[in-house]
Amino acid sequence: MRLLRLLWVFFRVGAMGELAYRANFFLQLLESAVDLGTALGGVVVVFSYTATLGGWRPEEVAALVGVFFLVGGAIRLVVQPSMEQLIESVRDGTLDFTLTKPEDSQILVSIQRVEIWKLTDFALGIAVIAVALLRLGTRLGIWQVAGFAAALLAGGIIVYSFWVILASLSFWFVRVENILVIFQSIYEAGRWPVDLYPPWLKIGLTFLVPVAFATTVPAQALTGRLTWQHLVGAFALAAFLFAAARLLWRVGTRRYSGASA
Amino acid sequence: MGIRDVYRQQFRTTFASFVQYRASIFIWTIERILEPLIYLVVWSAVAKATGGSVGGFSVSQFAAYFIVMMLVTQVTYTWVMYEYEYKIRHGSLSFALLRPIHPVHTDLVDNISSKLITLPLMLLAATVLVLVFKPTFSPPLWAAALFVPALLLAFSVKFVVEWTLALSAFWTTRVSAVNQGYFVAALFLSGQMAPLSLLPHSLQVAASLLPFRWMISFPVELLLGRLNARQALIGLAAQGAWLALGLLLLRTVWRAGVRVYSAVGA
Amino acid sequence: MEPSPSIQVKQLRKSFFVTERESGVGSALASLFRRRREEVVAVGGISFTLNPGEVVGFLGPNGAGKTTTLKMLSGLLQPTGGEVSVLGHVPWKREKAFLRQITLVMGQRNQLVWDIPAADSFELNRAIYRIPMADYKSAVQELTELLELGPLLRKPVRNLSLGERMKCELAAALLHRPRVVFLDEPTIGLDVTMQRRVRAFIAQYNQRFGATVLLTSHYMADVEALCRRVVVIHHGKLLFDGELAALRGQFTAHKTIVVKLEDGEADGALGRLGSYGEVISREEGSVTLRVPREDTPRVTGRILADLPVIDLTVEDPPIEEVIERVFAGGGS
Repeated sequence: MRLLRLLWVFFRVGAMGELAYRANFFLQLLESAVDLGTALGGVVVVFSYTATLGGWRPEEVAALVGVFFLVGGAIRLVVQPSMEQLIESVRDGTLDFTLTKPEDSQILVSIQRVEIWKLTDFALGIAVIAVALLRLGTRLGIWQVAGFAAALLAGGIIVYSFWVILASLSFWFVRVENILVIFQSIYEAGRWPVDLYPPWLKIGLTFLVPVAFATTVPAQALTGRLTWQHLVGAFALAAFLFAAARLLWRVGTRRYSGASA
Repeated sequence: MGIRDVYRQQFRTTFASFVQYRASIFIWTIERILEPLIYLVVWSAVAKATGGSVGGFSVSQFAAYFIVMMLVTQVTYTWVMYEYEYKIRHGSLSFALLRPIHPVHTDLVDNISSKLITLPLMLLAATVLVLVFKPTFSPPLWAAALFVPALLLAFSVKFVVEWTLALSAFWTTRVSAVNQGYFVAALFLSGQMAPLSLLPHSLQVAASLLPFRWMISFPVELLLGRLNARQALIGLAAQGAWLALGLLLLRTVWRAGVRVYSAVGA
Repeated sequence: MEPSPSIQVKQLRKSFFVTERESGVGSALASLFRRRREEVVAVGGISFTLNPGEVVGFLGPNGAGKTTTLKMLSGLLQPTGGEVSVLGHVPWKREKAFLRQITLVMGQRNQLVWDIPAADSFELNRAIYRIPMADYKSAVQELTELLELGPLLRKPVRNLSLGERMKCELAAALLHRPRVVFLDEPTIGLDVTMQRRVRAFIAQYNQRFGATVLLTSHYMADVEALCRRVVVIHHGKLLFDGELAALRGQFTAHKTIVVKLEDGEADGALGRLGSYGEVISREEGSVTLRVPREDTPRVTGRILADLPVIDLTVEDPPIEEVIERVFAGGGS
């Protein structure tokens, strides 16, 4: 399919450039390891005082941390750098180049930059999940794996759409340089099960800034907590946000082209 | 002219650009509120799971801790390390070096003016959090009185230490690694993740020997009435000592850094 | 049968709304509550036609409206009024069939990816424009030859000099053999040698492949070197559209005469020369006069007869002067 072919080309080209810089790989590995250590350290301190947290056992929260890193890694691999570049290109006018290309501009801006070394976050996340599940002694049935994959897919679409919406706002609010930081800082709340938070915060983290769908819901799938209603709800939200993002993108590019004047 | 005029002008400049970037500031403030909020919720959950209190902190005491922590973190906040990483990478440090005034002054004013501007929003957030989480604390009067000087000392120590660390940008391009290491340590050792008394003993010792406790945790502990008079006085002395040490280091490192910078060339 | 025009523009208009604010803390606060907006007319109703294979220069000072016009032709901006048609398409609709046939090159702004060799950026364009492998290979070869890219393609773009980067940019933009080439200030910031090379390349490209080229610039040299036809834009209005030679003729009624006199004679002759025409400059042993066009033959004869002349040249006034007059006349 066209999209996959384009994605592959951008990925290949983006990766090739970075592969020469082995030092960056080791630095990234160090940074990710320190990050992960901090996250797990926090879990250790918290669980030195209690056996369960909101019904979650320490290994389950550790698995959640793993999902946090896995999803975070995927976002920082391609979504974040591309959206950052988009905002820059709106400001310095290089978006013009993208708009004169005979391809869907939303696709082009979404895959334009790949930070290949963020794959370490992705890999570390998987490792943590694996170890946590092992220690839990869970046997992963086919349904659980499928549920996990589905939750990740829905979560991925939701998070991507949210980033596109945020980045598209820069067509109107050119001076909000750190608009993407909204997600990044609120994403930190995803390190802990969303069930812990007071109801108003939980709703905010589910529908306003969809962190819950990025981390807690897939972790729920892994730990046998996910109900099919939740999963269906996740896909419904994914479809809605994707459409909203698409709409906002088109309105935004039209505005950039002076259409509303 | 003099330093006062420089301070006044810098304040005006910071203010003008802040009005332009008000949305960015708003987003940054959200981050500052959310971090303690998350830990507040987590530790409240722990307290609830273990019969109402953990290590001498009940749910409402955790609320008090983290709300005060939020304000203290805000007041002592510095972004100088990120700024210098950026400046050195983009070669704009030369501008600061060319001015007939030590860059620490502009940085200081920029820092203070930014906070004055964001303070109303933070106080509003604190008020809301107080209403929602209903914290309890009752400090003795002398502790409350000592809070402001302790807070000012804490800010001074933090600013001086981080400004000196920011100068590592003179020696290495991988400043982000230095920054990350520092902020990870700070997260645990300055009491932002959990009250220091809840951490393993070794970490508590490290926090007290290093400046971290004196940069943030100490004023919080003071205001919450968790210290006796003797501990308070020792704390103030420790802050003073770290401030003196920090200033000394600042001067030394700055001189060495400028030499390195001019040797390599802007 | 006449070929249909590549580009057709009728009464094209574009206005922007700009917010204004004065300096000072008070105004900064006030702007939180009330914004002042002003309408700026960037392009105020221009019309022209370009035929296939033409190379046309859009000349005008900064802020004249030439980049705005170019953006409307390439589909980047939607006009406020008027009609525009490029290769039979309406540009702002951004149909894929349209976009595949055009290209945009902007001076000092790169589409090449910064950290990777230019050759890899070419690959991206190959995928985006769906260029068949055979066509791609031959395009790369031709462009490498024409632009002397050889060793440059393997270096990361950020390691290239400004001029080398521009060459690679041009190559990347032309890989898909567009029928219309839009160049926005392509030589800005380049040194003189590189400017010449870029101009030479564009001319060669146009001759070889017959692409229609529209170039905007505020450098007269770009237009002089490349374009037989020039369109002068100022304050969003079209001041002149025609041949470069005609530009001179229409807007200047003068010629310049450079007179070189025998040693030491120049001072004494100054007064006399002043009576023939306007003295505009004086150097070691030579004087430059401005003389009405019609009077030139007569004045030349008189000078040769009356003064000890070593050398005498009759020239058109420098084109910069011409342009200044065009702007001065067509401005406000």
